[in-house]
Amino acid sequence: MSNWERLVWNQRGLLWQGLTVTVEICLLAFALAIVGGLVLCLVRLHVRPLRPVAVALIEFFRATPIFVQLMWVNYVWPELFGWPNSFFTSGWVALGLQSSGYLAETFRAGIEAVPRGHREAGYSVGMSSFQVYRRIVLPETLLTVAPSIVNQFTVIVKSSTLVSVITVPDLMLQAMKLVNVWYEPIEVLTATAIIYIALVFLVSSAGKALADFHRRRFGLDSA
Amino acid sequence: MDAVPAIRVVDLRKSFGALEVLRGVSFDVPRGSVVSMIGASGSGKSTLLRCINRLETPSAGEVYIDGEPMGGRLSDISRMRRDLGMVFQQFNLWPHMTVIGNVIEAPIRVRGMRRKEALALAEECLARVHLSEKGKEYPARLSGGQMQRVAIARALAMQPKAMLFDEPTSSLDPELTDEVLTVMRELASDGTTMIVVTHEMAFAREASDRVLFLHNGQIEEEGLPDQVFGAPRSERCRQFLSKKLQ
Ligand SMILES: Nc1ncnc2c1ncn2[C@@H]1O[C@H](COP(=O)(O)OP(=O)(O)OP(=O)(O)O)[C@@H](O)[C@H]1O
Ligand SMILES: [Mg+2]
Repeated sequence: MSNWERLVWNQRGLLWQGLTVTVEICLLAFALAIVGGLVLCLVRLHVRPLRPVAVALIEFFRATPIFVQLMWVNYVWPELFGWPNSFFTSGWVALGLQSSGYLAETFRAGIEAVPRGHREAGYSVGMSSFQVYRRIVLPETLLTVAPSIVNQFTVIVKSSTLVSVITVPDLMLQAMKLVNVWYEPIEVLTATAIIYIALVFLVSSAGKALADFHRRRFGLDSA
Repeated sequence: MDAVPAIRVVDLRKSFGALEVLRGVSFDVPRGSVVSMIGASGSGKSTLLRCINRLETPSAGEVYIDGEPMGGRLSDISRMRRDLGMVFQQFNLWPHMTVIGNVIEAPIRVRGMRRKEALALAEECLARVHLSEKGKEYPARLSGGQMQRVAIARALAMQPKAMLFDEPTSSLDPELTDEVLTVMRELASDGTTMIVVTHEMAFAREASDRVLFLHNGQIEEEGLPDQVFGAPRSERCRQFLSKKLQ
């Protein structure tokens, strides 16, 4: 029996469990990043009194190493806010916050890339500023930034391996458990790397396909 | 004679910082008439159109639409803009909406029309610009001439009292300008009130009731097309035309 069979194939149940946790965490973090990024961006651009707060948060989320952020959410937040109360939650919240900082900037670039004439065309048929924003600026922005948003997912996937440090049973943690049981790291870690590569490749291909589609259909270059 | 003009511009002035772009412009556009505006680049033609529908705020002067002064609160300005269809040099179609979507957007959102009615109206407007078959396309799939005609249909769908055209053919390849000019000629002969900023001298001469020559933010010459093109009084206008027509 080869090591591949013994250490990887026969343990596929465990690895699969880990993979589902990884995917779950990444999806939750992704959702938080999109919502958080959009809110931060809109506040920054349009809520004058809260602008400095939004800018500070965006910079903070972007500038802090993900490991520090993970520790911060996991150990500081419960003291301050009484939440999160599980490692799993700390994990996706920290991942989501970091990406929300990046996505806030992506959204801003997208909004600023909407040509002024598209807005003026809205005003000139009698639309209100709110209508122009909701019907023209935001949808057009979402189309231009969609591929970049998808690519941010790959960053989340890669960073997500760190949640194993706070004992969230993700793919990385399951792999390390196997390594620590058998002391045979080569096959398990190689297999793990391949799974991550596949995941990232899948997502970034989707991002590319989306960018191509938007260029062909709407003539929009991705921001 | 109709006493109230569709558009009346009175001593309109506009400065950008120290740059005085419009220096007291006054003219009337009677209902159903076509006024062409010509003039060198930078003379203030776009700024004038944009002041009329308040995409720019004039520094001084008044604009009246059907007798009502343009201005006041934002909501008043939006309401009055419904009556002024604007066609831009760069088309400015909304890329994320189909052709039909572009045309029905304002009737539904701004006029509060029901979707079914709006679709019927859109069909009518697209027929007027000879694009009935393109309704389901996205703008990116159209030629420049087709995009500009959709933009005209989009403006027509608001059933405006007047149409403002800002160099509608200037970003088109020469072989595509005719299809747009044809549509504009048809609108003119249907009695649409129009102000047309254009470098198409033949169009200005044949299709308009009056021609204004703008120079340095002032109306330097104004009159019937044959008079402005045939026997311009101003030396500057003569020079401008001889450059354009050679
Ligand atoms: N938003 C602005 N801020 C500052 N200056 C402006 C602005 N808009 C226009 N101008 C200036 O006002 C002058 C008149 O511009 P305008 O666009 O009205 O000219 P135009 O007659 O339409 O020229 P063209 O034939 O090139 O379109 C130009 O010198 C231009 O640089
Ligand atoms: Mg201009």
